[in-house]
Amino acid sequence: MKIIGLDSLVFGVPDLEACRQYLRDYGLETVAEDDNSGCYEALDGTSVVLFRADNPSLPAAPTAGCMLRKTIFGVADTDTLSAIAEELGKDREVKVLDDGSIEALDDTGFMLGFQLTVRRPLDLAGEISNAPGAAVQRPINSLAVNNSKARIQPRTLSHIVYFVPDVAKAEAFYVERLGFRCTDRFIGVGPFLQPPGCLDHHTHFLIGAPAFMTGVEHFTFHFGGPTEVIQNGHNFIEKGYQAFWGPGRHVFGSNWFWYFNSPFACHVEMDADMDMFDLEWSAREAPISADASQAFLLGYRQRWFPGPGAPVNGDYEG
Amino acid sequence: MTADFVRLAASSDIAEGQSRGFDPRPARLDRSANNRSGGDSDVMFVVRHQGQLYGWLNSCPHIPGSPMAWRKDAYLNASGSHVCCHAHGALFEPDTGLCVQGPCQGGHLTAVPGLYEEAGEIRLRIRAAVAG
Repeated sequence: MKIIGLDSLVFGVPDLEACRQYLRDYGLETVAEDDNSGCYEALDGTSVVLFRADNPSLPAAPTAGCMLRKTIFGVADTDTLSAIAEELGKDREVKVLDDGSIEALDDTGFMLGFQLTVRRPLDLAGEISNAPGAAVQRPINSLAVNNSKARIQPRTLSHIVYFVPDVAKAEAFYVERLGFRCTDRFIGVGPFLQPPGCLDHHTHFLIGAPAFMTGVEHFTFHFGGPTEVIQNGHNFIEKGYQAFWGPGRHVFGSNWFWYFNSPFACHVEMDADMDMFDLEWSAREAPISADASQAFLLGYRQRWFPGPGAPVNGDYEG
Repeated sequence: MTADFVRLAASSDIAEGQSRGFDPRPARLDRSANNRSGGDSDVMFVVRHQGQLYGWLNSCPHIPGSPMAWRKDAYLNASGSHVCCHAHGALFEPDTGLCVQGPCQGGHLTAVPGLYEEAGEIRLRIRAAVAG
């Protein structure tokens, strides 16, 4: 099955205006908006779709507190759609929608959609750094830092993290029914999962939690590199948003991260430069801890310089 | 003589069904009130519910120390009926601090003692040692 990754996340939200503004300030492009809905895209066409929470066309959420209503995968071809429909049709209802996509519930109660991927190929440089001893990467006379750039845009929808009451059952569904594989595991927490048509370390991470918590821990888009994550996160905070964790760099997956609170009843992350693994990779296992979670952890500071007018204690204390 | 309170805001700054965050340490108060950035986490927040003011520590019982607003001063859910932790959407009664939905349901916010209104101001009573 050529499941490429996440194409779209559909939310039903009680405060549509707040969520719209949040996604715009995060860097997504508004591609459709009306009084009751909106679609916000990354550079490759992957998206977050918003509806008002009381929209009757939305699938139900798994729990009252969860605003995510549907997780839509992009697949490479119609054969994959047919194979998924046949496999899931063995023990559950599989609906074919007017647009040719299919939808079915997973074993936790999250509604899943599968469609021919909307992803547009991107032809963009990533973050390029030069280092002594390595061939020149970023050309001579080109600039690494661009402070005047009006907006930093996420490139593609990266991953989602679910709270699930039964990790083994939830994992088995993705692994045995859809061909995902575990790339790494936090013992007693859950697995990082990679779909069969994707090299990213994970598009899903599952966290075991009580049934009443079933829902989303966070979702995130990939940015162009660590500078974009940190610069965009810094700008986000200065627009008034509340950081939760980061910036830092994870150990499992190696992705740079910065997590923020949100009006989506989950955290929203900015991430970059996740490890990519193929079938040669053997999954690691580790107990979760601060040391196992990140190589280092930084925090926001206001811009500052050492000179006239600098507060005696820097900007840490007033 | 040093005052035994700090002025957090004018009473009119927090209307019914609104919330606002503060860092009441005297050296930080002006900065907390004037800085609209979310980067400086508020130590506490104040909500007005049915006319009464309630002060709570900005720390979700799910993950103690974790900040609850999604942007500066946004400590309530969309309808304004509940305090909301915007990490995972936990809902709390604004007057009792009881968590009624979310990861920490059954748990409580931590009340900030010494909050009162006088002379059109929202004030926090503090110990002289802190005020000095």
